[in-house]
Amino acid sequence: MTVDLSFLWTAFVQLLPAIPNTLYITAVSVTCGFIIGTIVALSRIYKVPVLSQLGTSYVTFIRGTPMLTHLLLIYFGLPLIVDDLAAKFGWSFNSVSIPMIGFAYISFSITAGAYLAEVIRSGMLAVNRGQLEAAHSIGMTTIQALRRIVVPQAFAAALPNLSNSLIGMLHGSTLAFTVSVVEINAQAEIVASTNWKYFEAYLAAAIIFWGITILIEKATALLEKRINVYNRGGVA
Amino acid sequence: MGAQFDIAYVYDYFLKLLPFIRISLVIVISSIFVGLGVGFLVALPRLYKISVLQRISQVYASFFRGTPILIQLFLIYYGLPEILKLVNVDVSKVPVLFFVILAYGLHAGAYISEGIRAAVTAVDRGQVEAAYAVGMTGFQAFTRIVFPQALAISIPILANLIIATLKDTSLAFTLGVMELTGKSQTLVTVSRHFVESYIALALVYFILSLILERLFNLAERRLLRHESLVSKKDKVPMGRKWLNRTLEAEIALSKGGSSL
Repeated sequence: MTVDLSFLWTAFVQLLPAIPNTLYITAVSVTCGFIIGTIVALSRIYKVPVLSQLGTSYVTFIRGTPMLTHLLLIYFGLPLIVDDLAAKFGWSFNSVSIPMIGFAYISFSITAGAYLAEVIRSGMLAVNRGQLEAAHSIGMTTIQALRRIVVPQAFAAALPNLSNSLIGMLHGSTLAFTVSVVEINAQAEIVASTNWKYFEAYLAAAIIFWGITILIEKATALLEKRINVYNRGGVA
Repeated sequence: MGAQFDIAYVYDYFLKLLPFIRISLVIVISSIFVGLGVGFLVALPRLYKISVLQRISQVYASFFRGTPILIQLFLIYYGLPEILKLVNVDVSKVPVLFFVILAYGLHAGAYISEGIRAAVTAVDRGQVEAAYAVGMTGFQAFTRIVFPQALAISIPILANLIIATLKDTSLAFTLGVMELTGKSQTLVTVSRHFVESYIALALVYFILSLILERLFNLAERRLLRHESLVSKKDKVPMGRKWLNRTLEAEIALSKGGSSL
């Protein structure tokens, strides 16, 4: 058996149908993670009594353990809880009705939430305090000041880290194969084992991931250029 | 699916997992060493701007930062024997651990090469010039002035990388290596106490990364005795302020492939 380049193309074509699943997992986990992360970051910045301590331990624990353990814990732990509740309240909904990809969504959202909380927090802290004070002094309310002054600047500061997290979650979505979701990695495994050509199949998968990653980075670079317009020097 | 939750199993499994920390750490340490070697070799052509080699090292760094580590593991495990077969080298008897370490090493090497570039370019040019001015040779200037400063700068980069590699080793079980995650999955085959086993697993990883983080904080503080205290107060775990220096914009320490 040698390296078969024509099979590389076949494998590439056969992997294409699995791309949406990878993108769904990435998009859902980053979106939900962003919401979780914003809540955690704000409660930590404004030192909300109970929430901020909870948020700190959540972030520390999730960032200190591998993403795979979160997925395994949710996959095996959530059904126990759901079935217990279902038996207690007589729901017709139980763990069997959760689709496999649901476990990936939930656990990766929790993972992304912790990482994004740090990204958002460092973005917010990067904005000079004087900006908020200046907004207050011209009569804006705190909500207005945050929305019009702080958030746009914080977003610009956090953008590189945001794109890093997005790429991290894209790469992390390969773990979903452990809960039998057919995304690119699982599809590569299927293509590889049915044709007994492992190297070519995984090479095709790697090329797809490489491509998506570079696309994300180019898009971020464009966005960054646009968003930092306010930050230029000069007079015009 | 599993058995009823029983907290006693968490403690039991925790103790059973402890001996397997060794294998996870062996993977981490050896792959960091491989990564340091590879990263140094890859960083040199880009620091000294050697035409063709520079391009190759760019492609290397871009590929390994732009694809998931899981795919890289499979690619090296299945692909390397194929490629070596073309040059009549038989590696079918080489243990799996070797491939795992190589995969993690190449992965880490891509990040380390960026880290080395970041650290070396972050040392102020005036430092080297001042060293020459007092009559040091090039080698002396490097070992006495540039290297200690670059080392201090690269400690946070290296710390993040080592902790990330530790967490990535949880994927080695996919190739059948009996490290922490692999062991946690075989522990439950009889008792079926899945959740307890994975809680114990998460605890082990958590404690390991906490210890590593503490150690690196100590090392950083020691190496930074000569720096001002400014950098210490505004440190955020993710967006470390990189001390009080600025890094060159085009250096990419994060995941991605745009350096291509």
